Amino acid sequence: MKEIFTMWRHTQMVVLVALSAAIYAAVLIPFKGFTIIPGFTEVRPANVFPFVFGLLFGPAGAWGAAIGNLIGDFFGTLGPGSIAGFIGNFFLGFLPYKMWHTFFRRGENMEQNVNSGKKLAVYVAITILASAVCALWIAWFNDLIGFVPFAALGAIITVNNAIAGIVLGPILLLILYPRVKRWGLLWTEIILPEEVPASRFQLLGNILMWIGGLGGLIVGLALGLGVYDQGLAAAGFAPGAGGTGGLVIGIGLLPFLILIIVASFLLGGREQVEAAQEEVATDTRTR
Amino acid sequence: MDPFLYLDRDTWVHRLDPRTKMLLLIGAFVLAFLFVNPLYGLVVLAIVLAFGYAAKSLTNLRRIWFILFMIAVMTVILWSVFGSGETPLFLFVEREALLYGAGAALRIDIMIVAGMIFLSTTRNEEIATGLVKLGIPYRFAFAVSTALRLVPTIAATGSTIGQAQRSRGLDLESGNIIQRVRKNTPLLIPVFVSTIRSTNVFSMALESKGFGASPQRTYFLKIEMTRRDALVLASFAALLVAALALRFSGYGGVEGFSR
Repeated sequence: MKEIFTMWRHTQMVVLVALSAAIYAAVLIPFKGFTIIPGFTEVRPANVFPFVFGLLFGPAGAWGAAIGNLIGDFFGTLGPGSIAGFIGNFFLGFLPYKMWHTFFRRGENMEQNVNSGKKLAVYVAITILASAVCALWIAWFNDLIGFVPFAALGAIITVNNAIAGIVLGPILLLILYPRVKRWGLLWTEIILPEEVPASRFQLLGNILMWIGGLGGLIVGLALGLGVYDQGLAAAGFAPGAGGTGGLVIGIGLLPFLILIIVASFLLGGREQVEAAQEEVATDTRTR
Repeated sequence: MDPFLYLDRDTWVHRLDPRTKMLLLIGAFVLAFLFVNPLYGLVVLAIVLAFGYAAKSLTNLRRIWFILFMIAVMTVILWSVFGSGETPLFLFVEREALLYGAGAALRIDIMIVAGMIFLSTTRNEEIATGLVKLGIPYRFAFAVSTALRLVPTIAATGSTIGQAQRSRGLDLESGNIIQRVRKNTPLLIPVFVSTIRSTNVFSMALESKGFGASPQRTYFLKIEMTRRDALVLASFAALLVAALALRFSGYGGVEGFSR
């Protein structure tokens, strides 16, 4: 996980943070009027950007997603929940690049594109997981401080994120990947291998991330629906539906959130950077 | 139309230290969240608007009136339908649910208006320097302020491309919302591609000007807390304490409302 700090040494990565945040915010803002839960979420086709920018720009895409979401919040959803929005959106951009290499064997082509069936399947799986992790952070925090029931917000955010990522993401990735690669802006070409941790426990990290993210969301929904009688999505606001601030949700989901953080440290990624830089070096020699 | 949010006016609000304005913004959020009764919410909104009026920055609200309106309408409808109270008003809507909905709508709109006034009165350089003075690393603060500056530029580029295509006969106005989104989406791709493409030039420009050359930075823009900042912060703190006392005494809620 140290690359999220070491990346700030590279001017290109700093610029990519700013640009990806600006693009994300610029597309979020026009849709702020299309509210789903007023003050909390709206129709968000812009949510495709954290996935795509995360894959292409790595940690810069993750920071860009967090900052872009915060800027977008100024136009319709600003409040204490923005703290969780920052963290949730960070993970929305963080997981795609962090999880990507764990699905490929050493020596296998792991370019961040969707030009094969396997890569498309990996992309879809990661999009669903990242959507769940983002929803888990935001819904947990907003339930904890008594704003919106976990089941209502968690379900909406997961679906909202995943639909944008799955429908628009592959198209955008196919358009942007060749160009970004040609301009030398892939995170794997900017960051130095020693700035990224080695993947010693990537299988364990992969498993823990799925348990923490998807498991946490399922357990959270089960607790919300079962213990507190919360309703899913819009039903969460119906008369008689359970309220927020449940201690069982607040404490019960903490282990899953901790698992997500632990898994983030285990995932590594140095091998992907080394492979990409070797390929660039080979290309240069061939020319 | 000027795509930038900052309004260059010579007012005492503009001259406040950016850190003071950040603290006032957080204070405005607290004030907004304290009261759910719309009458109290209106008082908070009046305070925020008075601040915006003093800053001569209310003109920027015209840009986001649709968002403010939609959020208000949706919130009132949502809580009127899903909330419940004790006093029937019409059909299945109860007075307390309607009041709660109006209060919740005001709460959200107040925060957006406060955020807009902050961005209208604080330059990007001031935000960056203010964040650094609050202990945020310079490169992070730089990324935030650059992103803020680029958002209107990207929006303006998108609008220019749209106008250029319309002048060539492309019909972007007809059709329902989905059809219009489908027509506009291909126009956005050049905006994204050209924005990302500028990364290398942008980085070289920064480095040629010494970005990151030394860990110890000096700043052209000097900011400092003055007596005016202290006075404004003290007045706002007193207001906040009074509001907290009022709320904890049981005022500002909507009695009889339940979810």
